[in-house]
Amino acid sequence: MSRPHDSFSVISINHEVAPLEVRERYSMDDAKVATLYTTLKNKGKVEESLVLNTCNRFELYTQCEDGADAEFVLHTLANAYGVSPDELAGHLHLRSGRDAVQHLIEVAAGLRSQITGEAEIFGQVKAAYALSQEHGYAGKTINRVFQKGFQAAKLIRNSTTVGQGQINIANVAVDLAGKIFGELRSAAALSLGTGEIGEKTVKALRSRGAETFGIASRSQDRAEEVAREWGGTPRLLQDLESYLPEYDIVIASVGAEEAVLTRKIVKQCSSRRKGRPLFLIDLGLPRNIEQGCEDFDNVFLYNLDDLASIADENLAQRKEAVVDATAIAEQKSEFIWNAILKRREYERNQA
Amino acid sequence: MSNVLLGLADKQWIWIATVVFASTFVLGSYSALKLRRKTGRPYILGLVTFGWVLQTIGLYARGLQYGGCPLSNQFELVQFMVWSAIAIYIFVGPAFRVSLLGVFASGFACVFSILSLALENWDDPSRKPIFGESPWIETHAALALFSYGVFGVLTLTSAMYLLQSRSLKTKKVVGGLFPFLPSIVELVSINRRLLVMGFSILTVSLAIGYRYFMEDLESVLTIKLASTVAVWIAYAITLALRLKFSLTSKKFAWACIGIFLAALLSLAAVNRSTKSSSPTAEPAQSSEVS
Repeated sequence: MSRPHDSFSVISINHEVAPLEVRERYSMDDAKVATLYTTLKNKGKVEESLVLNTCNRFELYTQCEDGADAEFVLHTLANAYGVSPDELAGHLHLRSGRDAVQHLIEVAAGLRSQITGEAEIFGQVKAAYALSQEHGYAGKTINRVFQKGFQAAKLIRNSTTVGQGQINIANVAVDLAGKIFGELRSAAALSLGTGEIGEKTVKALRSRGAETFGIASRSQDRAEEVAREWGGTPRLLQDLESYLPEYDIVIASVGAEEAVLTRKIVKQCSSRRKGRPLFLIDLGLPRNIEQGCEDFDNVFLYNLDDLASIADENLAQRKEAVVDATAIAEQKSEFIWNAILKRREYERNQA
Repeated sequence: MSNVLLGLADKQWIWIATVVFASTFVLGSYSALKLRRKTGRPYILGLVTFGWVLQTIGLYARGLQYGGCPLSNQFELVQFMVWSAIAIYIFVGPAFRVSLLGVFASGFACVFSILSLALENWDDPSRKPIFGESPWIETHAALALFSYGVFGVLTLTSAMYLLQSRSLKTKKVVGGLFPFLPSIVELVSINRRLLVMGFSILTVSLAIGYRYFMEDLESVLTIKLASTVAVWIAYAITLALRLKFSLTSKKFAWACIGIFLAALLSLAAVNRSTKSSSPTAEPAQSSEVS
């Protein structure tokens, strides 16, 4: 039950209300954020404040003393930007009371992120809260709202599919590798080609535990240079048949008109692999791996379209889950806000 | 001796156990497929263990009634096999750390238990206690059925392998059971270990049975001998081919499922031979199970 002019509010400039060029204009560096905190504190009417400042969103949570509300904060913020309150008001969300609590839960759970369900925002909100707390800008209300809000966001992420499934191609490929090999520590990966997408996939595999890499290029010098940079053994693309059996995951992103990995090569290497599965990731355009390679029982071939389609399906599944997740956020914010109101009432009576 | 224990008859205990297995299966499947989240392993393990304890009480009550291990008709053979499979899941399963194995195991137990309870002619009242003059025969029978329990779990993990492999091959990897199933490399390794375990137990069982058979060549019918040896040979060939890497994981999984189904049919042959070799007029005659 929030009132339009509750003393707890949030002002949010984000991708939902402001295009990129506007967000750029209103972005703040650490020094400006520090100045804003000080200004708000010195104004006297703002008891608590917290700034969430990410590359895609600027949010200011405040708890004002009685008689002051979000309008006052808006004026202060407009002054900090050097624009009129009316101009600023056209590019932001202003929410107060229970709605502000719900907004926080939705942001922390990734429901309001540009890429629905992304997990990084949770850490960013936690860091912003830690900073505000460290400098003494957070008080009773912000502490309660954020601590309870984090619990609600975790509940949403654990009980809905809003954060499930990878949505970028490199991570989708790594997830699939996990479903084939389990622990990636024991799986050796080979990158055919030294392009950017191959590098991203190698990095993603390494971050999930893969330790053994081969980097193949047409030129020995290039293979050695990139192998030093990415970490791995340099290989010559021309000798592929000789070392292919040593690898479990092959990431192909070579600029070539014809397939570099053919059905014949895979067939030849299968007897030396002793039944171990082979995961082929074809990121090349035109394709680097012959489609016939997937005819073998233990060979799993995914090309760019396959991976993109899985990423799209995962994203659609996340978006589907937003309805359920929002209902949880609504219910939890109601509960948190009512508890705050009761506590305030109790404190007023005590006074 | 009565078949009533703690106020309930043997079959009532088994019915309650079956309901617990069914509930576990429904709960686990609903959670994975509808809610898209995995029920915690401790909950599933707890529920399956509860069902297993109830089933154990039921089988114990039946054993008390006849003064021996209840292994003398189709109903009891199937119940003992289910009991063994669940025991494997409870005591060995946690070491494998296979997601959804509890759900699959409870489904397996539920299906076979309902089948054995529903087909009344399986519970032939002319049953004779398996205890004969030699306790080795009971060991032989119990070990053989225990190995069938292991092969039952192997069938489940093989089915899980095929499901996972098919999802990866057809690229249908969003939703369904895919996110909850273990990796195929883990399943392949578990399948191999289960086959070695089941085959070893069956071999020991047959060795004991062979010793008994050599003492009394008339005691075992040809159909029973042939079917059990055929099952043993089939598993031996599968294991040998797998160890030589001459069988792909997919073919290996299909072979494990096929042989288990055939092994189940061999139980019918065993049951028939039990009846034939134990004429009701001679109560002291022992019967055996392979």
